[in-house]
Amino acid sequence: MTAVLDVKNLEVAFRTPLGPIFALQDVSFTVPERTIVGIVGESGCGKSTVVWSICRLLAENGEITGGQIRYGDSDVLSFTQQQLENYRGEQVSIVFQDPMTSQSPVLSYKRQMTDIQYRRPDKRNKKVTRAVEAMRAVGIPDPEERINTYPHQFSGGMRQRAGIAMAMMMDPGLLIADEATTALDVTMEAQIIQLIRELRQDMNGSVIAVSHNLGLIAELCDQVIVMYAGQIVETGTVTDIFHNPKHPYTQALLECDPARILDSSRRLPTIPGEVPNLMSAHKGCSFAARCRYVVDRCRQELPQRTDVSASHNLHCHRHFELETLGVLAQSSSEPALKKGYKNSSLSKVNGETNKLLEVKNLNVRYQVLDLMQKAFRRDSPMFVDAVIQASLSINQEETLGLVGESGSGKTSLARGILQLTGTAGGEVLFNQQDLISLKGHQLKHIRREIAAMFQDPVGSLSPRKTVGALLSEPFKIHGVKLGSVEEEVQELCKMVSLPLSFMTRYPHELSGGQARRVGVARALALKPSLIIADEPTAGLDVSVQGEILNLMSSLQESHGLSYMIISHNLPVVRHACDRLAIMYLGHIVEQGNCDDIFTEPAHPYTQALINAVPRPDPDKRRDLTAIRGEVPSLTNRPPGCEFHPRCAFAQDLCRTEPPENHELNNQRFVRCHFPLIQ
Amino acid sequence: MNPWREKLQLFMRNGKGMFGLVLVLIFFASALFAPQLAPHDPFQLNIPARNSGPTIDYFVGTDQLGRDTFSRVLYGGRVALKIAAIGVSVSLLIGLVLGMIAGYGPRWLDNALLLFFDTVRSFPTIVMALAVVALTGPSLGMVMVIVIITSIPGYGRLARTSTLALRNADFITAEQSLGAGPVRVLAGHILPNVIGPLLILAAMDVPVVVTIEAGLSFLGLGVLPPTPSWGSILNEGYMVIRDTPWPVVAGGIPLVLTTLGFTFLGEALRDVFDPRLRKGY
Repeated sequence: MTAVLDVKNLEVAFRTPLGPIFALQDVSFTVPERTIVGIVGESGCGKSTVVWSICRLLAENGEITGGQIRYGDSDVLSFTQQQLENYRGEQVSIVFQDPMTSQSPVLSYKRQMTDIQYRRPDKRNKKVTRAVEAMRAVGIPDPEERINTYPHQFSGGMRQRAGIAMAMMMDPGLLIADEATTALDVTMEAQIIQLIRELRQDMNGSVIAVSHNLGLIAELCDQVIVMYAGQIVETGTVTDIFHNPKHPYTQALLECDPARILDSSRRLPTIPGEVPNLMSAHKGCSFAARCRYVVDRCRQELPQRTDVSASHNLHCHRHFELETLGVLAQSSSEPALKKGYKNSSLSKVNGETNKLLEVKNLNVRYQVLDLMQKAFRRDSPMFVDAVIQASLSINQEETLGLVGESGSGKTSLARGILQLTGTAGGEVLFNQQDLISLKGHQLKHIRREIAAMFQDPVGSLSPRKTVGALLSEPFKIHGVKLGSVEEEVQELCKMVSLPLSFMTRYPHELSGGQARRVGVARALALKPSLIIADEPTAGLDVSVQGEILNLMSSLQESHGLSYMIISHNLPVVRHACDRLAIMYLGHIVEQGNCDDIFTEPAHPYTQALINAVPRPDPDKRRDLTAIRGEVPSLTNRPPGCEFHPRCAFAQDLCRTEPPENHELNNQRFVRCHFPLIQ
Repeated sequence: MNPWREKLQLFMRNGKGMFGLVLVLIFFASALFAPQLAPHDPFQLNIPARNSGPTIDYFVGTDQLGRDTFSRVLYGGRVALKIAAIGVSVSLLIGLVLGMIAGYGPRWLDNALLLFFDTVRSFPTIVMALAVVALTGPSLGMVMVIVIITSIPGYGRLARTSTLALRNADFITAEQSLGAGPVRVLAGHILPNVIGPLLILAAMDVPVVVTIEAGLSFLGLGVLPPTPSWGSILNEGYMVIRDTPWPVVAGGIPLVLTTLGFTFLGEALRDVFDPRLRKGY
């Protein structure tokens, strides 16, 4: 098999005002013909730098300081500008992470796609036909019509399909997908994975898939490259890496993935420490500081490449030693975990418990037109309903998970509960007190009881304040005088295990996980009884996700907290929650015990969501076409059951009659005419 | 790493910015220490030596009354500094507060304030100054008032736009969920994020303000004679330009240097603090 791409000893450095960053060191790999190669690693490990080096599109301050990149027979690093222009797009093309920002918003797809073919001497008609064919190949309906539309007229998933169509149209020898599904929902992700798998059959080229999502890599790739701190630590076939990982980093990374842990346990494994910054060239193994098998030699000498088999090699000093000791062998099976954290509160569900929060038939609607605009556009609705008749309850010391695709109204519901947005009917009872009628001072008092954590760990911290100021702020807002504020703040730091030296740092100097800890500390400051956490693990690496979830559950133990966790990440929800509520287009469609829902989903939508999660096991690849289509727009609700256009079990009744919410058993509610269980 | 030290390092490497800073410092020093630096009393007449060119005694010559132009330029800098410092800071403060209120407050208040900004903006500065001075008579105070009123909308608009961009940011919602009221949110969290670009704009506005004062004084609408100001030096020099070019040259050069100094400084600050405009280095 000949190689499409051959990278040898690649070294890249970025110049910054504070000195160079050695982003890649001695990176060598080959991409054979007709294979899908995955690159995994935590953020900051140089995955994207590899991609941009291959395209010679590094940022202005980046420089390839050594090594070789060969595409077929040609040397990419010696290309002239003209050759580069011919190489990009024709030979190598990219599918970007965010299709909204990577496609021109002012040009129609027809124009964008014919422009890509500017090098070809073909007639315009032929170019248009080729574009239409490319759109058809990625499964866009009526491509002849849709090609005249603009990116904003497509939904997220369709846009990413169009992005793939553009990248594939010139039949490149190498397609690079840089986190191509990260910005999409699980259901869309499953569809895109399925699409790339199908396209692969008629494709002559190879694919490089860059992702931090182990599930995606396992579902998609033939070969896997594991990167850490600018170096390749392990390379192998997908089965080598997932079933027989040899490098301690690969093992740790796989262990952390909540999707691989089938027992629902509150304790998730983590990798302590963080990716080193690459300002100084370190000697020794870059993973030494976080490795649990580290010995002195690891800190002194750079490990050389060791071959395990023809396809599998790694960089580790202790590999053979550990192999004989038998330490590595056990890790590939299910990791041993402490159990028993989860059921402490589960047992109470049936008994009489105190309902901390009760939401009854809550509605949230947003005004889209004002009275003037409405006068001119009589047909369009003045409001969109983001949440319709939502009812749920949270007991003391219980964790409720709120799950759904984006646009399902999860965040609106949370904001409605927190009184951060207006509500349109319904009740929010907190300790039997209705929050909606509260004003000013009373509401401020309730804010001490219900704390919130927001999606973006760094973005939800005021950027010009130090950590110390941020942590003491809740006390100042509420004029709490408990001895000295400083002591309280130090107490908080201890609770979330944040070093005191961080007090003078600014949010942008924190890593995602550290910023999240500050967020948790701020939420805890006023000793609330309920914390509403919007995507507490979004944007965090798998190794850090576990840390935050472990922290949250141990705080629950010690402080008797209740949580409402909003997430689209089902594996995380599964480990963190006691009960689940699934939302679709503003309705809560299913509610019940977390384990029950995962073992036996009652609503077809729930089933589809669970099935769409990619499994990090290359032997269990399955047909991912479980759910079709996308979430419809809120302004254009389907009649009857909102889910019927995507539902595999839809019948005539579903198309006309909206279903009622009914209780099945054991506090299980489902909003479906024909639930999957009785 | 302290972010301020990093910024300082970046600034130190910016040659144009350092040049601007030096000019600005000279401007401040010469104005503040004018009584010590001036070789002559700026009001003292020396009729026999009138309209002289540069001599050992008079560095840049004398005007038509025989007063030392160099000393008058130094003292004129005090007027310019007063106008620039007070005018710019007061209008910055008012504009900032009004702009933040417009950006964060309810829709109707935003509309009302915008209407006010746009109304003020629609008057040409000089025409408004002519009208006001015609009613009240010329004085330094009046120049100041005109400068302040005409500069408020610029700052207000910028502060409003930046506030609008921030008001729905996650960290603002996070503060609200903790129970923070509008005053705390505005003063504690929006202000520090909005003030940076405004200060840069203010630095670049200083020369504009100085030239407004010079322009009004040139037209006889600003400071009253015999108080020296760069505009009045230019004006008086203009009348005797056929006899000697020196007063015009001497009055013009500090104006040019101050403008350059503040513009370079402002641009350098903008490059340092607004990374989006920064080029790869």
